[in-house]
Amino acid sequence: MASADKLINTDVPEKDVFALHFLQSLSNLKTQNPLNSPAKSIDRVRKIKKAAYVSMARAAGGTSRLWSRALLRRAAKDDNKSVRFSRRKRKVTWKISSKRRKSNNQRAPVVEEAAERLRNLVPGGGGMETSKLMEETAHYIKCLSMQVKVMQCLVDGLSQK
Amino acid sequence: MDISEKDEFSAEKRNPDSYDLVSNPSGDWRVSGSNPIDSYPSENLISAGPASCSPSQMMDSFGQTLWYDPTSVQAVGYGGFNVQNNGGNASSSSFRGNIDRSLEMGWNLPNLLPPKGNGLFLPNASSFLPPSMAQFPADSGFIERAARFSLFSGGNFSDMVNQPLGNPESIGLFLQGGGTMQGLCQSNEHNVGDPHNDVSTAVKNPTVRSSEQAKPNVPGSGNVSEDTQSSGGNGRKGRETSSNTKKRKRNGQNSEAAQSHRSQQSEEEPDNNGDKKRNSEQSPNSPGNKTNSGKQQGKQSSDPPKDGYIHVRARRGQATNSHSLAERVRREKISERMKFLQDLVPGCNKVTGKAVMLDEIINYVQSLQRQVEFLSMKLATVNPQMDFNLEGLLAKDALQLRAGSSSTTPFPPNMSMPYPPLPHGFMQQTLSSIGRTISSPLSSMNGGFKRQETNGWEGDLQNVIHINYGAGDVTPDPQAAATASLPAANMKVEP
Repeated sequence: MASADKLINTDVPEKDVFALHFLQSLSNLKTQNPLNSPAKSIDRVRKIKKAAYVSMARAAGGTSRLWSRALLRRAAKDDNKSVRFSRRKRKVTWKISSKRRKSNNQRAPVVEEAAERLRNLVPGGGGMETSKLMEETAHYIKCLSMQVKVMQCLVDGLSQK
Repeated sequence: MDISEKDEFSAEKRNPDSYDLVSNPSGDWRVSGSNPIDSYPSENLISAGPASCSPSQMMDSFGQTLWYDPTSVQAVGYGGFNVQNNGGNASSSSFRGNIDRSLEMGWNLPNLLPPKGNGLFLPNASSFLPPSMAQFPADSGFIERAARFSLFSGGNFSDMVNQPLGNPESIGLFLQGGGTMQGLCQSNEHNVGDPHNDVSTAVKNPTVRSSEQAKPNVPGSGNVSEDTQSSGGNGRKGRETSSNTKKRKRNGQNSEAAQSHRSQQSEEEPDNNGDKKRNSEQSPNSPGNKTNSGKQQGKQSSDPPKDGYIHVRARRGQATNSHSLAERVRREKISERMKFLQDLVPGCNKVTGKAVMLDEIINYVQSLQRQVEFLSMKLATVNPQMDFNLEGLLAKDALQLRAGSSSTTPFPPNMSMPYPPLPHGFMQQTLSSIGRTISSPLSSMNGGFKRQETNGWEGDLQNVIHINYGAGDVTPDPQAAATASLPAANMKVEP
């Protein structure tokens, strides 16, 4: 169905883009915080993880996706930076109407419950209706697997001696 | 067959006509004269003439509606471009022969055509021409040709009463083809003429048939002319009211609707002849389809407007109130996306049932997230080493990685290259955007990213690239060995 194809657009940039973004953010990390400085390893892990997610969100099109927006926003909140994204369009916040959603749950309670769990996993998923959630999840999965591949390559390349 | 001769003749004659774009109001008037014929075209050919608006404007509206048809063009998918570009004078005759043959086939005519044939040549139009085309009313050559063709078809298949009703568009298409193939003029002029063709055929068909063919198809031709008249009126309306964008929007549905209309007519064929009433019911339908002005479409149940709406149809036994319809739409949307997700998540193909599938998806997402966490942990442990002994490590790494990249990377080769490689210029650009200057341009990476010894993060980056590309398409190792001896000074990294 052509319209469906048009609706579900989960094109993901190539792996190089992810790699570049990730390396960029890692090098930023390095310059910010010299690695020989006595930083706690947990802190480092956290930072690298965050760098991974943020770079993934950037690589995946920045603010064009709901989940990447949410990720970037979260990261910005962590940094206590006030970053304003341009509001694209007013979206219905489903969080507010979660009560109503619960009342509607008789249609497919299991599915809704699973979707609720998925909402907690996908960043920014709390404010999505189910079909949108699916779409965003698809994109998120693509990007995440890409990021995992990139990181795996990096780890392999660095740890091999 | 004399028709083909005629056609040749007309083609010759047409040549000058179609070259000057703004000439020939007479052709337009001819169209308008034939346009508003009531029920029996031969009678009040003249009287009804002024009733229709100035045909050029009408055509304008026609043409512009027919013009932009990106959806249908994409749907058609085969090369209008190619045909048009290649079709010079050389292949013209053969193509025309094709036309003739297919016209002789007669009944198959609507079927022969792609249903979306309307937009076949139109993409060129949209690309070549500005949206405000003033040259439209120009070429009467097309009109003439339209006349020929309709004459042709009418003469041959006069017993098929409804045929011209159904296929003005298709004839138009053929004319488009013929026009292009005859190499009459440059492609934009073709395109100018193309929408015309549809119109003019639609308009011309009945008159030609009724006047020149002696067969007693009076009710049928009346039917036809009614159709055309109303199409004219509709076109007028469209010109008056609807803006271009509107029309463009509706265009996508044009061809489908036309097709359905056609089929509808062919269904009606057996009992149509004297059935005036039905035709009058039908006739508002067809102009809506042809001209896309869509004025009357809202009221008609036969072709629902598809843009912006989701057309839901309840099957038998299903609830029809709006809530359940909306719910059904929602569920369909969800399941469609689930299907999409199913392809993404490995191992999700086997499971059935939404809940299980969702569980799988959740698990997969979780595992991916955990993987990211784990890998970042690994990276954190790896990082200090790199900081200390970066250069040597990377030099060694590069060698080792290159040698055994395809075997040591945990990904199967087909997995690691899901996307085609980037252009190398991109790499260069983004690399420099990291903020380092790379003294040796990455041009040496051209042949599948040969190895370079580097230090700093660029080294990692290149490692990544090595791995990526090495896993996907293994570059010949001798090459790599040759480039492995590149001095490390090639890469200068600013602190």
